[in-house]
Amino acid sequence: MLIKRQERQTRRSNLAAAIGNQNGGLDRRSFLRKSGLAAGGLAAVGALPLATVRKAEAAGPAVAGATIRKNICTHCSVGCTVIGEVSNGVWVGQEPGWESPISRGSHCAKGAATRELVHGDRRLRYPMKLVNGQWTRISWEVAINEIGDKMNAIRAKSGAESVYWLGSAKFTNEGSYLFRKFAAYWGTNSCDHQARICHSTTVAGVANTWGYGAMTNSYTDIRNSKTIIFMGSNAAEAHPVSLQHILEGKELNRANVFVIEPRFTRTAAHATEHVRIRSGTDIPVIYGLLHHIFKNGWEDKDFIRQRVYGMDDIRKEAEKWTPEEVERVTGVPEAQMKRVAEKFAKEKPSTLIWCMGATQHTVGTANVRAFCILCLATGNVGAPGTGANIFRGHTNVQGATDLGVDVVTLPLYYGLVEGAWRHWSRVWETDFEWLKSRFDTPQMMNTPGIPSTRWHDATLLAKNDVAQKDNVKAMIVFGHGGNTVTRMPHAAEAINKLDLLVVADPHPTTWAVLGERKENTYLLPVATSYETSGSRTSSNRAIQWGEQIVKPIFESKDDLEIFYLLAKKLGFEDKFFKNIKVNGNLPVAEDVLREINRGGFSTGYCGQSPERLKSHMAHQADFDMKTQRATTGPNKGDYYGLPWPCWGTPAFKHPGTPLLYNTNLSIKEGGGTFRPRFGVEREETLPDGTKRKVSLLADGVYSKDSEIKDGYPEFTLGVLKKLGWDKDLTAEEMAVIQKINPTTPDAVSWAIDLSGGIQRVAIEHGCTPYGNGKARANAFGLPDAIPVHREPIYTPRPELVAKYPTLPDAKQFRVPNIGFTVQKAAVEKGIAKQFPLICTSGRLVEYEGGGEETRSNKWLAELQQDSFIEINPADAAERGIRDGSWCLVYGPEMPSGKVCRVKALVTERVGKGVTWMPFHFAGWFMNVDQRDKYPKGTDPVVLGESVNTITTYGYDPVTGMQEPKATLCQIRAA
Amino acid sequence: MARMKFLCDADRCIECNACVTACKNEHEVPWGINRRRVVTLNDGKPGERSVSMACMHCTDAPCAAVCPTNVFYTTADAIVLHSKDLCIGCGYCFYACPFGAPQYPKVGNFGSRGKMDKCTFCAGGPEADNSKEEYEKYGANRLAEGKLPLCAEMCSTKSLLAGDGDVIAQIYKERVSKRGYGSGAWGWQTAYRENIAI
Amino acid sequence: MAKLIAQLRFIAGALALAVLVAVAAPTSAPAQVNPTTSAVKEQQLLNALQGGAISGRVSIPDQKSGNLIQPGGRDWRQFHEVTLVWIGAIAILGMVALLAIFYFWRGPVRIEAGRSGRTMLRFNGFERFVHWLTATCFIVLGLTGLNITFGKRLLLPVMGPEAFATWSEYAKLVHNYLSFGFTIGVILMFLMWISVNFPNATDAEWIKRGGGIVGKDHPPASKFNAGQKLLYWLVMLGATAMIVSGYMLMFPFYGGMTLANIELATVFHGVVAMLFVAMILAHIYLGTLGMEGAFEAMGEGTVDVNWAKQHHSLWVEEEMNRGASDPKAMARPAE
Repeated sequence: MLIKRQERQTRRSNLAAAIGNQNGGLDRRSFLRKSGLAAGGLAAVGALPLATVRKAEAAGPAVAGATIRKNICTHCSVGCTVIGEVSNGVWVGQEPGWESPISRGSHCAKGAATRELVHGDRRLRYPMKLVNGQWTRISWEVAINEIGDKMNAIRAKSGAESVYWLGSAKFTNEGSYLFRKFAAYWGTNSCDHQARICHSTTVAGVANTWGYGAMTNSYTDIRNSKTIIFMGSNAAEAHPVSLQHILEGKELNRANVFVIEPRFTRTAAHATEHVRIRSGTDIPVIYGLLHHIFKNGWEDKDFIRQRVYGMDDIRKEAEKWTPEEVERVTGVPEAQMKRVAEKFAKEKPSTLIWCMGATQHTVGTANVRAFCILCLATGNVGAPGTGANIFRGHTNVQGATDLGVDVVTLPLYYGLVEGAWRHWSRVWETDFEWLKSRFDTPQMMNTPGIPSTRWHDATLLAKNDVAQKDNVKAMIVFGHGGNTVTRMPHAAEAINKLDLLVVADPHPTTWAVLGERKENTYLLPVATSYETSGSRTSSNRAIQWGEQIVKPIFESKDDLEIFYLLAKKLGFEDKFFKNIKVNGNLPVAEDVLREINRGGFSTGYCGQSPERLKSHMAHQADFDMKTQRATTGPNKGDYYGLPWPCWGTPAFKHPGTPLLYNTNLSIKEGGGTFRPRFGVEREETLPDGTKRKVSLLADGVYSKDSEIKDGYPEFTLGVLKKLGWDKDLTAEEMAVIQKINPTTPDAVSWAIDLSGGIQRVAIEHGCTPYGNGKARANAFGLPDAIPVHREPIYTPRPELVAKYPTLPDAKQFRVPNIGFTVQKAAVEKGIAKQFPLICTSGRLVEYEGGGEETRSNKWLAELQQDSFIEINPADAAERGIRDGSWCLVYGPEMPSGKVCRVKALVTERVGKGVTWMPFHFAGWFMNVDQRDKYPKGTDPVVLGESVNTITTYGYDPVTGMQEPKATLCQIRAA
Repeated sequence: MARMKFLCDADRCIECNACVTACKNEHEVPWGINRRRVVTLNDGKPGERSVSMACMHCTDAPCAAVCPTNVFYTTADAIVLHSKDLCIGCGYCFYACPFGAPQYPKVGNFGSRGKMDKCTFCAGGPEADNSKEEYEKYGANRLAEGKLPLCAEMCSTKSLLAGDGDVIAQIYKERVSKRGYGSGAWGWQTAYRENIAI
Repeated sequence: MAKLIAQLRFIAGALALAVLVAVAAPTSAPAQVNPTTSAVKEQQLLNALQGGAISGRVSIPDQKSGNLIQPGGRDWRQFHEVTLVWIGAIAILGMVALLAIFYFWRGPVRIEAGRSGRTMLRFNGFERFVHWLTATCFIVLGLTGLNITFGKRLLLPVMGPEAFATWSEYAKLVHNYLSFGFTIGVILMFLMWISVNFPNATDAEWIKRGGGIVGKDHPPASKFNAGQKLLYWLVMLGATAMIVSGYMLMFPFYGGMTLANIELATVFHGVVAMLFVAMILAHIYLGTLGMEGAFEAMGEGTVDVNWAKQHHSLWVEEEMNRGASDPKAMARPAE
């Protein structure tokens, strides 16, 4: 028999002492730190006297000689801290980041496996290009030269607009910002990233309702909620660590958790009730809830009167949605709707959480608007435990959106108007006229670009159908999968037609294999986020600074370095990096953030200096998990990550805004009001034809300590003067304001005042710089001012199309949107009979996005080895399909005779008539294995059919969002 | 002396598989060997629960009892470890194990198994603590560093608890009394012949 | 056959699970679907399954990992560590004791007429090759197999863990590979001797007279007497059980085998092996110590004519008759 070694026993007893119950009292903190147990579990139950809690000492390195580096997990927007142990430049171990007030040591499968990503068996090692269809190694120098020359050639022949800039939500904030700036210096607004296909409709819908397009509260704040609705969100798989807070909150508050979804998800398994709806009927569901709320007087009347504009229009629409009609359209019975409505309205605070299940529809923006309206009607915005909690999908999709990697904005939501361009040219210290000259025509400067969902249309449509000089001829793709956009067969054709394809990514991605290209295709190996340093913005608007864990592996380069090399090749590196130091070829991330700070007043990205952010990361343990506020240390009083808006200059020391629009706090402490973004009053026409003006400013409600006890418009120098507060401005601030607009300085607003003075003064007087307005239940200006139900383009209920048709065809974002024509044709052709199953898609916990990164990670790939489709046992039985067997799936827009071969997962997760597929797979395309098309050794471990080979036409009119969540398909046994 | 145990609070487990990949990461566990796994019961139906399962380090471990070459030993913390040097890969421990914990790399032709591999409670094996040999055979020895198993430490929802059995039982009890429900300490009766009375 | 009962319990368990699922459905009726309170509970499942496995869905291809808890392993352990050890000990030691007693009480069966000096061919070269192939394999398989059950009890304390592990590992390897030789031997034996092993009226008579083992009676017998025929069929039966269960263990989980199937296979393999070994001990006794003139049948292939007349009178007659037409088969004088 083996004998236990004696020294082990003694060491064990030390350990036991460390974690055990000593001296009659448990040292909770150190126990938890060592055991990975629920701090919440214990703190939550409160059974142990907190007096025994000792502060944790900083944890020393675990591996002797290893250096500890902190970064942020890239796989969703929760912002979990990744702790890397580095030894001799190699990432040797990963430890839990206990001190993070967000993740508290936790990870999901992806976060716990991130180290593999940097070990990189399957990473792209060096730049490559296609030579006569063969992947050939080239040097960086050759790559940059050839790419630059080809871009210039396209520019000369077809114009700047023919080069499309597809960026990434995995950029750091600095990367995102420089990418957007790069598109501007190149001369196009066709610059987009994953937010288009995830939360573009959220941003549009939410911003159009109350000012800013972001999560109003935070992951940890959901602990305060008494009723939680998940709608189109499977957070258990997409944002697993958020469930730590949600489940604990649910347990402590005995909260109601409703999952309103076509599918019984892993989240639904932990809900108190699952409400099964038909895909694409979110608006009727919300009206169904509002119907009960208004009928029973459960709405928050004071809140509506003081803080909401246009709720009466909603009330009228909700009246039409009788329980019978709601059940007919959505399938949800009256009793269940009433129960959900009552709890949401009465057991407050309530929050509504949504994700792609809501946003990825032709009515995405309207869905989101409906959700906001439900929160507004019940007074569930702007307080702890309430709000529209929008869970985003990548580390920095919030940041990349904020920083304008988008077709309709400049960084930080400055619109495409001359004033905004002038603001940024002041920040960049680049001549506005020169910038203008970079565009094909001056008008293009203020014309929204082409959304990422339509790039292939812009490539393949007749030249005259695309409202720019020429078709899209080049795709410059940084960190963006090719299989996440719908209508892949169409995209594959477009890839073949491109004159230039550049894929800058740690992996070759689907772009490299989807088409049949022979030349003019470049792969650039890019470092992952763990190999770069910089800031990242989580969903809750908190910004975390991540350190480089290891140097970029192989010949990979940091995004920032590639931008520098390209700028140099194109000849504008001096202008571009005027205020940014460049070390060798690598721009200094801190300097980039400082430039963002200098221009980021509109969204409150002005106060988060690199120094403050780094200090937060270094002192994570000082922050209280529940309030996210530092209770001690150098950052005392700050909210973790300085969630934007963090007003004023860094010197102003604003603590950040943990909850948006929270009038219970003074602005200086992170409070806020709804933002009057759409004027201060509106002329309404009454039924009798008379007109009246209605104020859009808040009515008798204001944030704590406000010196103005009512609504007010945004601050300009002129407003300050009227209030007599302009005297509070310092001479330096005044000088800056004068310089911005020497002719009419009074017009200089809080958003373009580079001194931060106007913000500072307004806040000193307790006022929100952007004003105090009403949220809009009626968002005049949108195609549907109030949400209107519209059937999906390919609906399984064609009989409802006559009553609920999609919007008429129109030209949007330079390309036609012919959804109406397609819907009409689908009804006429009886598509719903040939393709009787609803096809919807979603995320798996093991994979992320297009999946190249995660499917190349052997630890993750092992857990999901085949692309599959979930099908109800009844549907499977009808088709003779067994669980685990292969089956063939085809959609109405696929080339006839083509099929996708996937495994069948026969399950009651989906209802009868519904199928679901994960969207992470690629590498098989319509039953053809494309493994050989990857450069040798870079093929992901797991390949499979993409659901987007099956998905179909359909675009949201406001943002160009695609429709991968409600379409049709048919399945047969293989 | 602490009696180490695992406890999976199924009402918290969301099948995120962090425990699985954390284990792979910490010990560089090869493809095909699953020291820990998550099983979902009543999949897709109301009442669905997922449970993360690995070696439970049983009291009076069946694997140890049936092993023809006596490779198992129990540490002072009641962790059931084994010596790969003595293992002949007969598979008997897998037959006896109530939790399907033992794993075998496939070697050679037909069903011949390599040396058994299983969860070590991050406590390595008979070799010197944190030695190269120990790491290669059994993975990291976190306990020797004063840390607990990484699967539990990284659990996304703090569902998987690892540590002194009395302490984790207490945490679980408090959770259940606070929230009012609990599906039970999965595997405890089988592994430890005890249940957490609530 | 406790295990068979356990197997039935598994089936019952599966049915119970189906019932449980069916029962779960109504509780989830639309009125109040509350997954939190209707959560599946371990105790409930264990009770319903009566010791069967609790299984669910896993995404990895290894579907047996979907078995979350299988308390059946406990029964198997009880079998393997207690029942089988007792069965083995009793069967083998019991047989040895029985043979010893028999030997001292009865002594070896002599050739009553004394050796004639003339021999006749009983088993040709091929028959002997097949017998010894099977026998060698059997002995090695038996010893290496017994090592699995008794090694740690008997050898380990003597050899020490390292040496014992090394020996056991080779023993396992040899056990696996020699199974093929054994299988071939058994198949050949089956084909070779099946024609002379069908029971007939003579056998009834032979059995009625107790085979002449006790006393001086010598009931007539053909090439094989009823006892030998019984041995033949027992060997065939036992070997089949050993081979089938053995290959199940060698190729575990192939072809949709479940853990319960494999546990059952080990039960068969173990129990049959112990009985088989005991039976072969008796066979060895009768072929060597227990009967004068018997060993040479398999040793040289020839037997003394008097021995043959004593034990297989009918066979001698058959051979004599056949001898007329086939001189080679005729009895010939001993050289």
